[in-house]
Amino acid sequence: MRRSLPWVALALAAILAGCAPGGHGTARSAAGGPRYFGSVCPPRGDVLRFNNGAEPETIDPALVSGQPDGRLARALFEGLATCDPRTLEPRPGQAARWETSTDGLTWTFHLRPGLVWSDGAPLTARDFVWSWLRVLRPTTAARNVGLLYTIDGAEDFNRGTVPDSSRVGLSAPDDTTLVVRLATPVPYLLQLTAYPTWLPVPRHAIERWGERWTRPGHLVSNGAFVLERWRQNDRFELTRNPRYRNAARVRLDRVVAYSVDDLSTSSNLYQSGRLDWNTSGYVPLPFVPWLRGKADFRSAPFQAVYFYSMNVTRRPFDDVRVRRALNLAVDRDAIARDLLKGTRAPWGRLTPQGYPGYPAPPSLGHDPARAREVLAQAGFPDGQGFPKISILFSTSEDHRRIAEAVQAMWTRELGIPVELRNMEWGSTLQATTTLQYDVARRSWIGDYLDPGTFLEIMRGGDGNNRTGWSDARYDRLLLAARHEPDPEQRLRLLGQAEALLLADGPVIPIYHYSTVELVKPYVRGIWSNALDTHPLEDVWIDHAWRPGRP
Amino acid sequence: MTRYVVRRLLLFVPTLWVISTLTFFLMRLAPGGPFNAEREIPQAARAALAQKYGLDRPLAVQYVTFLARAARLDFGPSYKFPTRQVREIILEGFPVSAELGGWALLVALLAGIPLGVIAAQRQNAAADTTVMAVALAGVSIPNFVLGPLLVLAFSLGLYWLPPALWEGPQSRVLPVLTLSAAYVAYVARLTRAGMLEVLRQDFIRTARAKGLPERVVVLKHALRLGLLPVLSYLGPAAAAIIMGSLVVEQVFAVPGLGRYLVNGAFNRDYTLVMGVVLFYAAFLMALNLLVDLAYAWLDPRVELK
Repeated sequence: MRRSLPWVALALAAILAGCAPGGHGTARSAAGGPRYFGSVCPPRGDVLRFNNGAEPETIDPALVSGQPDGRLARALFEGLATCDPRTLEPRPGQAARWETSTDGLTWTFHLRPGLVWSDGAPLTARDFVWSWLRVLRPTTAARNVGLLYTIDGAEDFNRGTVPDSSRVGLSAPDDTTLVVRLATPVPYLLQLTAYPTWLPVPRHAIERWGERWTRPGHLVSNGAFVLERWRQNDRFELTRNPRYRNAARVRLDRVVAYSVDDLSTSSNLYQSGRLDWNTSGYVPLPFVPWLRGKADFRSAPFQAVYFYSMNVTRRPFDDVRVRRALNLAVDRDAIARDLLKGTRAPWGRLTPQGYPGYPAPPSLGHDPARAREVLAQAGFPDGQGFPKISILFSTSEDHRRIAEAVQAMWTRELGIPVELRNMEWGSTLQATTTLQYDVARRSWIGDYLDPGTFLEIMRGGDGNNRTGWSDARYDRLLLAARHEPDPEQRLRLLGQAEALLLADGPVIPIYHYSTVELVKPYVRGIWSNALDTHPLEDVWIDHAWRPGRP
Repeated sequence: MTRYVVRRLLLFVPTLWVISTLTFFLMRLAPGGPFNAEREIPQAARAALAQKYGLDRPLAVQYVTFLARAARLDFGPSYKFPTRQVREIILEGFPVSAELGGWALLVALLAGIPLGVIAAQRQNAAADTTVMAVALAGVSIPNFVLGPLLVLAFSLGLYWLPPALWEGPQSRVLPVLTLSAAYVAYVARLTRAGMLEVLRQDFIRTARAKGLPERVVVLKHALRLGLLPVLSYLGPAAAAIIMGSLVVEQVFAVPGLGRYLVNGAFNRDYTLVMGVVLFYAAFLMALNLLVDLAYAWLDPRVELK
């Protein structure tokens, strides 16, 4: 009789809380009313279930390029530094501390003593050197290899012009010391070391299993979690890594990352209580105006910009006045407010917000009268004689609606003929990379918090430029910024470059992306931030949470 | 019989060759390639990737290499998923699609045939009209509408069944119902038509004249022939149901093979598309062969030549 007492108490507590521990059948009684979107019944145990989005292409950190892939790579591996989940400030990871030379070119990292891989093998500074050289080796064919070009000699080694890996600025004088020599000073290097491409990988497992080293059972990691199970197009299951350097602080026993690429399906799973976290990008945007009133809805600026680019190798876009006129005629506020129902903020620059100390140039504004004037100066008064131009976009309802709006604005304000050109994704990419377009819809996501990650793409000849535009003054400013050791002066140079880009360049910014996610109220430690990066070692399930509390 | 089967199997070879050749060159005609991305891939990486997949060699060489490897059921690694072999992707995804399709087909037959028989027996009566109206609705509602409606009612309204994912028997219910709806309707209509034709024939009149109970007349004598249209539909239906589960797999996040075909084409994943297309083609031909064999077995008038 006595022994059953705790159970009775537990059951009572559960009833009072309106939520039996676990069990999907109880979800209805647990529906938290209108305050939350669907069930708010915490999972049994310390497990986090979230939608990781599209099926990851690979979880090999060297090859990772997409966000779902990166999220898993970061849960499994840890770099020299990690980032604070709220502020994204770098904090010590595998390295306990580091120092920089006065010219900012040499970084010395001191690893924590006694680091091990999840199979118990020791992890040393040589593992980092080996991992980064692996990324740089041409045969690895790492798509994001450019992120390592900041290391001295890395680019030449990757291109094969200097085949000797000892010429790359990496050395490991002892087990816990790693010295990195850079080609140019990089103030955001610590942020980079948390990026998947810079994560250490287990040499012994890779040499043993080859390409199949990322399979469950083969994969050896050094982060907070290890890989237990994977089923394609379904899920990755991770469990706590007891050998993680900070294992005692990790509060989740298990992480289930589902691969659900359909937005409605994802939010259905969240609503029914089968997901604790519906990640950004997988909440249907039409739901947002309605979801905004829910306590589990979160939105924050995301470091990405939606823009149109103009192909300056084609007439009439070779004329800077035409580019200016088209820019001035676009009413970004109307698009964001009326078309997107406030789910996105109107944006008039290529770089997003949120760079402390960055003297951002003024945003491009909406001024139809001035646009007509400039167009007339370019030789097209009231649009007379202006050739028919087209807006290229990949298949998407939102892209189409925005293109229709811009088409209407240009036709109404400038009197120029505009047609829409819709292609599927692969063909759109081909058309933009080969400059077979007039105006094309583009977007750019930053890898780290720095305006350079946006401005560099418009450098003359850069593979991501895709406009044919190049301006020696712009390239000079970027180059000077690269070699500038003073961070403040560097940002000033970048600000000047962006001002030039906005005035003369081939870019029509339209809106600033935002993260849109749903997080159950009992999940703690997930914070919205500009990179949409969420270190899972900080996340925990608050079983004491009850409806009615924050 | 054996000779017939062998001949049909031998015919697979040229058919698959034509299909693979068409697919190979059509894929290459599509604009762009597997290494176009929103973020430019550095030149060195591009070259390494091209070498890894043999794209640096002349198209004719690529084609011959592809044929030689395909003959050994080796399609190489996927472009989109560089650490996975196409064969692995198919072998892991197909059983799920097959299970989903298998259940849906079973439901279609178990529900469709009785409905069709009932409708035929009560031709033009209220039951017939009702069954056929429901059938019409079943065929007309696309599964991307039906699926979400079922989810809304049973997952998000009543909380009876999971809205998606492929874990446990409960998770099978909604996708199977969604996928089978159109086929239940079709099978019911075919059964009804087949039964109506058979029930008017002389041997049925004879059976009735002998005083056999109606149940035996319908179920034993009429049904066997009345099902022939259903049977010949079964091959294409099985193929369509298993390959056409694309939308259902998407709506219910079922980890099947269907999604790979469409996404593979979008991503210009040459090897994956080739593998999946050839696999489906072979599967379809095998099913058709089975149907022809079953047809001969059910209807003595059919002769296999």
